[in-house]
Amino acid sequence: MSKPNDLVQGTLDLLLLKILALEPLHGWAISLRLKSISGDVLQVSEGSLYPALHKLEQEGWITAEWKNTENNRRAKFYSLTRLGRRQLETEAANWQRLSTAISHVVQLSET
Amino acid sequence: MRMEHWRFTAPLRLRSILRSRRVERELAEELQFHLDHKIEEGIASGLSPEEARYAALRAMGGLDQRKEEMRDMRRIHWLTDFVDDVRYALRTLRRSPGLTAFVVITLALGIGMSAATFSMVDALIFRPYPVPHPGNVVTLVSTSRDNSFDDFSYREYLDIRRSTKSYDGVVANAGTQAVGFSAERGDTPRVRAGMLVSGNYFRALDVEPQLGRGFRDDEDAVAGRDAVVVLGPDFWKNEFGGDPSVVGRTIRLNGRDFTVIGVAPESFPGMLIFSRPDFYIPLAMAPAFSTSPLKNFFEDRDDRELSVKARLKSTTTLQQARSELAVLAQNFEREYPHVNRDRGAAVRTQFEMRTRDDDGNWKFGVIFTMLALVVLLVACTNVAGLLLSRARTRAREIAIRLAIGAGRFRIVRLLLTESLLLAWLGGLGGIAVGYLGIRFFHTLSIPTELPLTLPFRLDTRVLLASLALSVLSAFVCGLAPALQSTRGDLVNGLKTADVDAPGRRRLWGRNALVVAQVSMSLMLLTASFLMVRGFHSGVVAATGFAKDHLLMARFDPRLVQYSPAQTQRFYQRLTERVRAIPGVRSAGLTENPPLGLDAFGRIAFVPDGSEMPRDRENFTSTMDTVDEGFFSTMGIAIVRGRGFLASDSADAPRIAVVNEQFAKHYWPNADAVGKHIRLESRTGPSVEIVGIARTVKYRQTTERPQDFVYVPLAQHPIARMLLLMRSNGDPRQLIDPLKNVVRSLDANLPISETRTYEDLYRYNAVEGPQVAIDLVGTMGAVGLVLAIAGLYGLVAYNVSRRTREIGIRMAIGAGPRDVLRLVMGKGLVLVGTGVAIGLTMGLALEQLMNSALFNAGGVDILAYVIVVPTLCLVTMLAAYVPARRASRIAPTQALRYE
Repeated sequence: MSKPNDLVQGTLDLLLLKILALEPLHGWAISLRLKSISGDVLQVSEGSLYPALHKLEQEGWITAEWKNTENNRRAKFYSLTRLGRRQLETEAANWQRLSTAISHVVQLSET
Repeated sequence: MRMEHWRFTAPLRLRSILRSRRVERELAEELQFHLDHKIEEGIASGLSPEEARYAALRAMGGLDQRKEEMRDMRRIHWLTDFVDDVRYALRTLRRSPGLTAFVVITLALGIGMSAATFSMVDALIFRPYPVPHPGNVVTLVSTSRDNSFDDFSYREYLDIRRSTKSYDGVVANAGTQAVGFSAERGDTPRVRAGMLVSGNYFRALDVEPQLGRGFRDDEDAVAGRDAVVVLGPDFWKNEFGGDPSVVGRTIRLNGRDFTVIGVAPESFPGMLIFSRPDFYIPLAMAPAFSTSPLKNFFEDRDDRELSVKARLKSTTTLQQARSELAVLAQNFEREYPHVNRDRGAAVRTQFEMRTRDDDGNWKFGVIFTMLALVVLLVACTNVAGLLLSRARTRAREIAIRLAIGAGRFRIVRLLLTESLLLAWLGGLGGIAVGYLGIRFFHTLSIPTELPLTLPFRLDTRVLLASLALSVLSAFVCGLAPALQSTRGDLVNGLKTADVDAPGRRRLWGRNALVVAQVSMSLMLLTASFLMVRGFHSGVVAATGFAKDHLLMARFDPRLVQYSPAQTQRFYQRLTERVRAIPGVRSAGLTENPPLGLDAFGRIAFVPDGSEMPRDRENFTSTMDTVDEGFFSTMGIAIVRGRGFLASDSADAPRIAVVNEQFAKHYWPNADAVGKHIRLESRTGPSVEIVGIARTVKYRQTTERPQDFVYVPLAQHPIARMLLLMRSNGDPRQLIDPLKNVVRSLDANLPISETRTYEDLYRYNAVEGPQVAIDLVGTMGAVGLVLAIAGLYGLVAYNVSRRTREIGIRMAIGAGPRDVLRLVMGKGLVLVGTGVAIGLTMGLALEQLMNSALFNAGGVDILAYVIVVPTLCLVTMLAAYVPARRASRIAPTQALRYE
């Protein structure tokens, strides 16, 4: 596999929140979903994923529930809270502003 | 983190702390789930099971560090640290149980004594009135030259109520007085405490009766019309068993029927500190309870018996109320110059009332508390010294912690947590000690029928004070040692465990402690000795009259509706028949005995022929009303002229007997016998002085000589009198004959306050001060013992620290005597400094106490003569023992001493 791009901690939060906004998932599924949606560009290591999920839970943006998967195995499913939804909007907006600004700079024509 | 967010996340964090094991388990399970799937993925992409497992584990390596990060995320650092510190402190304390026990006991004594004395001060000064919003209840007082806290008269009260706008209600009450109470007609009346109050009393104070209702305004409008009564809560419980049907019942007070209309709530024991009224009666009913028949309560503007309180409006400031009342007082002065000359009026806050100058009780409370705090300080110093020496033995451990990166503040926090734990345990013990102390106060037996209570309680305020003291002690004890033991030099700390590095500054803390112990012991000693002497001098002081073989009994024929004439006839017959009882040497009547519990009346007069200063209408003096048998029965000598005779009847010219002090005061160069005084003013009735009595003690054994005037009962008929009987044998034998005599005169007349004079004297002049002596003595003794023990420990420890140094000195040639001289010389210097400081402070304290309290007189040499050498001796001994031991060790061993 290609080396995954280093993800800034803040953007990982944003990605996780967005993924969970679509549907509740457990940790393993989140990492798979992230890989598939981004076309293998974004991969998150376990060492980053679980601490990030933990932090989101401590902040109260996601909440967890132990449920059974289709294979009848117990897993911890995370879902977005109302606070988390608001945080997602904020972070998405920030990201939009940031990336637009970066694009502006990068697209400056050299003379 | 944003503030409102904290409220949301804090519960989550608390939960994860409390259930940390479960959280850990869940995390492990979650990661296991992930691992399993990763292995499956590996197998699915073609790896063998072992390879897949290996790859998965490698990918998930470093997860333990992440787990630690996640744990960190979960914490509320200071809370978990604190819990850890407490656990560690508990372990440490358990390792040295003896030290822990000693420290806890020491602190418990100090905190407990402070708590007990604080309960005193709380009851006497700080406890707020038991009404809603007590902060805006003020007391209105009348002020004159002699008295800044005088009562108002009924007319004045009405004028104040009508003319002032600063208050939401102005109430008045007379003092509690003895009332004959019987639940059923025909029962012998018993003496209980009643209080006359204005109709708006309960309403203006916002006191809701627990049964029935309070007074209506119209019930206090017409004199003598509405015989209604509100019962006090304790009285209702004791007399009527808490029966709710008491409302509407009729009871007899002073022989009249009164209807019970309500019961005051449990939360309202009354506005006074020491007495709780049994029932409340409207002011309009005053004639049934009149204390002074010569005055018309409703009309006389100078019959000042009412204490006036009011609720300040929230829109008015205290200053405005004061100005308004001052103006009103000026109006009174203008309109009624005869009775209001030189009288002002003031508004006083509760604090001002409680700390008034003419009442000494609160001052004693404050001084006791300060003594207790000094004992606490001594205890803390002891503990600080102990902690300091113990911190030394942990120097290596502390150095290691510092070396591996603990911040200095973190370690100070650790050590402080230890002292906090110690102090908290000490505080718990202190509460137990305080509780015992307060129980001890309550064992004082108060020999009156009136319900006097000692209001010292272990309530929440006292408990909070104890808690605050514990925390404060913790900081006082622990901070200095903590700071000092974490200071600097890690290298040395790691190298040697126990030995002092050379240098001056390190011993500064311990030396200061020694000096502090010595000076505080001296101060404590001075204070205790002074107070004990002061009280003791009161106890042994000669009173001026004979206290033995004297029986007393109180009568008040108004309780059975006697008219004034009937009353006087009763007293005549009583004394006649009592004198005929075999075993009675003499008998007499007085309104109040000397050194009794009630206050004497006052008389206003103008000495005939003397120039009154321009601003005074008259002089005043304390007075007593007595019959012709009084002086001989009481054993008060008449030094010039004569006492009263049976011939000094109501028709005879008015006469009086004064005491030596009075005669000396007003006629220093002449014989007072034959002189006249005029009552009330220059134009009042003339009274001839026919005799001079010896000056005795009247109110307190420690008082300075007072002016005193005696007037004959026949010319000044009052109803409530005390019968005195001097007996040949045991005065108690006379009780039954007396009862028979009274029964033969009137079977319904109650006798109260029957006791021997010795019992009264013992309570008033001896037991009260004796309790104080015991209290002060105990505090002083405890403080001294603590101080001496602490001193010994400190000095001995200091010297043992220098063992290595001593070894070195001896190795280079010092002899044992040189060493001893060096060490004990140092000790002497410290003691000397401590003594100097202690003496200075002790002298200052003595001045303060002499001026504030009583005249204990002079500097107390005896105390110093005993204790200063004792302290020196203790210090020397404490220095000598370890020094001698050190000087005997072979130098090589001493050098290796650790």
